[in-house]
Amino acid sequence: MDLDFLRIVPSIPFILNGIWVTLLFVLVAAIIGFIIGTILSLFKISNISWLKWFADAYTSIFRGTPLILQLMIFYFATPQLTGYDIPAFLAGILAFGLNSGAYISEIIRAGIQAVDDGQREAAEALGVPYKPMMKDIILPQALKNILPALLNEFVTLTKESAIVSTIGFLDIMRRAQVVSANTYTAFEPLLVAGLIYYLLVMGLTQLGGLLERRLRKSE
Amino acid sequence: MSNAFIKIEDLHKSFGKLDVLKGISTTIQKGEVISIIGPSGSGKSTFLRCINLLEKPTSGRIWVGDDEITDKSTDIMKVRQNVGMVFQHFHLFPHKTVLENITYAPMKVKGISKAEAEKIAYDLLEQVGLAEKAGQYPNRLSGGQKQRVAIARALAMSPDVMLFDEPTSALDPEMVKEVLEVMRSLAETGMTMAIVTHEMGFAKEVADRVLFLDGGVLVEDVPPEEFFSNPKSQRAQDFLEKVL
Repeated sequence: MDLDFLRIVPSIPFILNGIWVTLLFVLVAAIIGFIIGTILSLFKISNISWLKWFADAYTSIFRGTPLILQLMIFYFATPQLTGYDIPAFLAGILAFGLNSGAYISEIIRAGIQAVDDGQREAAEALGVPYKPMMKDIILPQALKNILPALLNEFVTLTKESAIVSTIGFLDIMRRAQVVSANTYTAFEPLLVAGLIYYLLVMGLTQLGGLLERRLRKSE
Repeated sequence: MSNAFIKIEDLHKSFGKLDVLKGISTTIQKGEVISIIGPSGSGKSTFLRCINLLEKPTSGRIWVGDDEITDKSTDIMKVRQNVGMVFQHFHLFPHKTVLENITYAPMKVKGISKAEAEKIAYDLLEQVGLAEKAGQYPNRLSGGQKQRVAIARALAMSPDVMLFDEPTSALDPEMVKEVLEVMRSLAETGMTMAIVTHEMGFAKEVADRVLFLDGGVLVEDVPPEEFFSNPKSQRAQDFLEKVL
């Protein structure tokens, strides 16, 4: 066995800097995914059949094809189709945001449907229109119920974000590969990257637990 | 329509093949207190829920005030602001405090200021004897307290009529009284009320009229003295024999 961690020590800060890149990427993708997911979930529970159809079709396509394929299409097909030389970051957050929107829409839909129907009736009986009823009464309760599932999705997104390394985006994963190529090592930089991902995921999980307990307390 | 505040004409409601209401007609005058009683499955809750269109009638017409609520062009949200409803299971908003539960609809729907809404809310909480609970979340309250808050929440919209759907059926026996007390004093203020209830004593004492429903049909529509002492129909006699 030929392990030499000393050789990659000077490159460790380079890999560590990828943390912010990855976190920013995940955060932006998650926000896009959350917004799209909320809208789609409202489509899914609406009475308007073409909105329902659209949301179902959307979910079916994004869940039914590999994420890496969606990413490739955004990154490589956009210049071909439109002539716009799309940056890796933009292609990445679009693919991840749109993809995660499909999953989040299912989580939120289930959360909304789990809220006691009496809440809707009480709001309706008070003459509260649909929009404020959703925003002020139903969604806050739904979100509290689905918080664990949403955080799980966020953690998954953090791990899966490593796929953007395939289009050259300099996240943690890509940086590990660069170091690997420069130093003729494989295991050492990958181990460092793996450690970083693991700590990130653990941190996020802890944060989620904290948030969940605080929300519980308010009731 | 003269001075009938609510008028119901040949109301039918079916769920799929099940006919729950089979042609009910009646009127409710301003300031009247109506008790709706009958065996379970008789359609009394469905009947009540039709009055603010929480259930959509299959056929028939309903007027509340000057509006025909079964007419498609009527703004049902507008009508509902005028018709308060109290549910068996309270349905308070669990993520809002008692005060916020009461002020939410007046602020959001009527657009009145927060200060004014809170003033109304505190007055109402005083009225139902829960002023000290304003800052609590509903899960800190007993069933009876929850229901009193629910009544205050409905009253905050200053409705012209209040509907009660078995308001004491989900309560422990020792809490029934405090809720009935609140309803009794509300009746004394001249509020128009329609109450689906199993509390025969309350119906007898407070109601101006009893509607007895059985099998989706309005079997009796008479003053309580008459209903409880001298029910005309066999079905009402059988029912009273079982519950009294």
